[in-house]
Amino acid sequence: MNTPDPRRPYVRPMAGWWRRNPFFVEYMVHEATAFFVAAYALVLLVGLLRLAQGEVAWNGWQEALRSPWSVAFHGVLLAAMCYHSWTWFRIMPKTMPPLAVRGKRVAPGVITACGVAAAVVCSLVALVLAWGATR
Amino acid sequence: MAETSGNGKVIRVEVLRYRPEQDEEPFLQGYDVPFTDDMSVLQGLQYIKDWLDGTLSFRWSCRMAICGSCGMMIDGEPRLACKTFLRDFPAGTVRVEALAHFPIERDLVIRMDDFLAKLERIKPYIIPKEERTLAQGEYLQTPAQLDVYEQFSSCINCLLCYAACPQYGLNPDFVGPGIMALLHRYNADSRDGAAVERMEIAGSEAGVFNCTAVGYCSEVCPKHVDPANAVNQNKTRAAGDYFLRLVRPKGGAK
Amino acid sequence: MEVWKADVAIVGAGGAGLRAAIAAAESDPSLKIALVSKVYPMRSHTVAAEGGSAGVVQAHDSLEHHFHDTVAGGDWLCEQDVVEDFVARCTEEMVQLEHWGCPWSRKADGHINVRAFGGMKIERTWFAADKTGFHMLHTLFQTSIKYPSIRRFDEHFCLDLIVEDGRVQGVVVVDIASRRFTLIQANAVILATGGAGRVFRENTNGGIVTGDGMALAYRHGVPLRDMEFVQYHPTCMPGTGLLFTEACRGEGGFLLNRDGYRYLQDYGLGPAEPTPRNKAMELGPRDRLSQAFWYEQQKGRTIDGPHGAVVHLDLRHLGEAKLRERLPQIYELAEEFLGVDPAKAPIPVRPAVHYTMGGILVDGRCAAPLPGLYAAGECSSVGIHGANRLGSNSLAELCVFGKTAGVEAAAFAKSVAHGPADVLLKQAGASQQRALDLVIDPSGTERIATLRKEMAQSMEDGCGIYREARSMQATCDKLAELRERYRKVRVEDTSSVWNTDWLLAIELGYQLEVAQAMAWSALERRESRGAHQRLDGYGERDDANFLRHSLAYHAGADAPHIDYGDVKITRSPPGTRAYGAAGEKAEQELAEQELVEQELVEQELVEQERAAQPGRTGEAHRG
Repeated sequence: MNTPDPRRPYVRPMAGWWRRNPFFVEYMVHEATAFFVAAYALVLLVGLLRLAQGEVAWNGWQEALRSPWSVAFHGVLLAAMCYHSWTWFRIMPKTMPPLAVRGKRVAPGVITACGVAAAVVCSLVALVLAWGATR
Repeated sequence: MAETSGNGKVIRVEVLRYRPEQDEEPFLQGYDVPFTDDMSVLQGLQYIKDWLDGTLSFRWSCRMAICGSCGMMIDGEPRLACKTFLRDFPAGTVRVEALAHFPIERDLVIRMDDFLAKLERIKPYIIPKEERTLAQGEYLQTPAQLDVYEQFSSCINCLLCYAACPQYGLNPDFVGPGIMALLHRYNADSRDGAAVERMEIAGSEAGVFNCTAVGYCSEVCPKHVDPANAVNQNKTRAAGDYFLRLVRPKGGAK
Repeated sequence: MEVWKADVAIVGAGGAGLRAAIAAAESDPSLKIALVSKVYPMRSHTVAAEGGSAGVVQAHDSLEHHFHDTVAGGDWLCEQDVVEDFVARCTEEMVQLEHWGCPWSRKADGHINVRAFGGMKIERTWFAADKTGFHMLHTLFQTSIKYPSIRRFDEHFCLDLIVEDGRVQGVVVVDIASRRFTLIQANAVILATGGAGRVFRENTNGGIVTGDGMALAYRHGVPLRDMEFVQYHPTCMPGTGLLFTEACRGEGGFLLNRDGYRYLQDYGLGPAEPTPRNKAMELGPRDRLSQAFWYEQQKGRTIDGPHGAVVHLDLRHLGEAKLRERLPQIYELAEEFLGVDPAKAPIPVRPAVHYTMGGILVDGRCAAPLPGLYAAGECSSVGIHGANRLGSNSLAELCVFGKTAGVEAAAFAKSVAHGPADVLLKQAGASQQRALDLVIDPSGTERIATLRKEMAQSMEDGCGIYREARSMQATCDKLAELRERYRKVRVEDTSSVWNTDWLLAIELGYQLEVAQAMAWSALERRESRGAHQRLDGYGERDDANFLRHSLAYHAGADAPHIDYGDVKITRSPPGTRAYGAAGEKAEQELAEQELVEQELVEQELVEQERAAQPGRTGEAHRG
């Protein structure tokens, strides 16, 4: 016969876990930026709907976009999306198999920098094209 | 009597105590520990144990960050106590708690049966692609082939990555970063041929898709294993398997 | 008390214990194997071994060379038949580990790579960067999971062996988490509990290296052999004693004194060449290097540091890239623990206790004189290290003799039947009570840490790199006093969940007795050999009187009784241990002499053949 098991392991609660560490707070913030991406998608969808409803509706939508509130809102969206992209590329090296160039591993920082550079270039190209199309 | 320290510096070490036979729940107990600049948090705890309070319990052994025993939350971060130094807490106080996300057995000792059980499930050994007798000598493996899995084989099982993973804290069924690193270590080894068997675990309900890419596991890893990379490489692979299974009824990888 | 019936019980799950468990499981899958360890297996101290493991692989190397390096390195106190068996089996064991997944460092063509090591004539040290022990341990542990007949008792502490009817019949263990006791009934017991370096103050060992298995066997009448031979590793971190692997020097590192001078050339290890030649200078054996440090300190040519005298381990000329590739752990240890970038500045180092050459007396089959008891690894004295172990022989030993112990214990277990459980349980109950008495007795006054500290300081003072009768006697007296005071040891913690205070007290009891065996064996050896060096008129090796193994027998509360046993010599008669240029000259002379002898033998053969077959002369040499 043996004595009864005296163990009584204590399980700590998880409530509020994301406030316990600055890393987690930042994680929640950058995850939250996904809502801004979704919000802008919604704005564009509304535009598409208005376009389908005819010229008057479309012009009204464009008018709404030019309001100071809308411009400010778009500024916030732009900032959030830039931050979102940066965090996305920051984690990219952790998500892919090791990349080797001439037998040497490419450093994570280089992969992130390449991703960010590609995003910047694409954005600029899109901007130039859009600017050219509207002139 | 007690060991003396040269420069008269003292640090307040706040330790989360829990004695299951006496305490309903954990509480913080403070100790004043004289220290020198080369002393680790582990040495601080040893000082407490030896000279101030023999009832404090914690795991430790090698003192050089390779045995993986002394993982703890130090000022809220998962760290190895042996390679965290008392000099790095200029405020003159440091808080030491048992590793997060694990049940506390006693004081700084956590219960880690779960990790061992998971380790046993992933078949953490070579299941050879081709059999070879000892007389035939070693398998050939180029430095490049070694490089593919070597970092994942460096896991010391210290569990810091689990304490850094909120998804594990929320759902202890999740296989978690360390085990995924070890699973990937064998799948990525050129000598091994059992990736298909192990991918069943990686792609299961408790598998890689519990990971939401917080990435803190890799930040806290004291051995640069980068478990987040192992998890995410296997997300791609598990997703590939899933879609292949839709196309081929017998299943993707099989 | 629970009873768990096993065929083979193994105490200790480091490299040797795990290898033994796998060997026993493979030898007969129907055997039940209990693998007991006071820590999870991957925490065992094998994990801290850095440099590598020996096994002859190069075409220009031979078993003969490995044999001679080992025997001369051990100052001829080796069991030569066992060494022959050892060197012949090392390579196969290393290949076995490779098949099990050990990430050995490789050459560009995919074959395994080997590096130079101290006292080894030719490069034969297999390595996995500078984490060889770590990788070997994890490979063995993870491979052991494959065998369903191995039942692990993780974090279970071994309190006693059960000896009944003249043989070992089991062990008593306690679950650290719950303080619940189990009698593991077993027909064979393998002790694989590692060394006892923690009895010294400054050491490279983990906190768990407390000589448990040695003390268990010793208390049951098994002698501890050659305990006076304790290895000081020459390059350790001042203060903590943490190890900077010999591979630092294998890769080309220098040892410098305060003048930046490679002082080893003054101690018969020269000439000082830019790349250390094998068996010369920095690649000399550990005992010689630690002794040279001591002399430099006497001459005032060391450097003063906050933790005493140091010399410099200079790796700067190797460059950061090579250091990061070959010595990554060393790089991080130096940076994080000392704040030194080894690519830019030399690392301060000093000798610290590293390895226990002696241990539980076993024969070449790992069997102790007590039937049913086996031992392997650092806790055992199988006879390959003699008076000084060569670096990279101990990791190989874990595998070679771990396997032997597993196979032999399994065979023995099948040859006997389990004894009556009630008799064994009675014994186990008495062991349990003795252990619990430590917690229950409230009259204790002696602090565990005080006793431990005094023991460790006394061992360093009396049984350090150089020894004298007076200081050794003082240590012996001190240990007797400490054992007396230990009877009143105070265990503060009375709880039953994870009571480490209680375990520390039990370990201290083990340590004090093992330390006594060391000190008395040292005092009685009136000569200098290998790691045992005396300054009091016994400065020379004395083969006439001391080419013998010491045997320390437990004598209850009294000092151990020291006896002696013969040394097995097969092929290598005791010669001069010479390194550096002198060593090469001696080897050359020996080789020439052997060549002459060989020619004489061949000539004789030719003549015999000529006499027997007169018609076939001239072909005799082709054989």
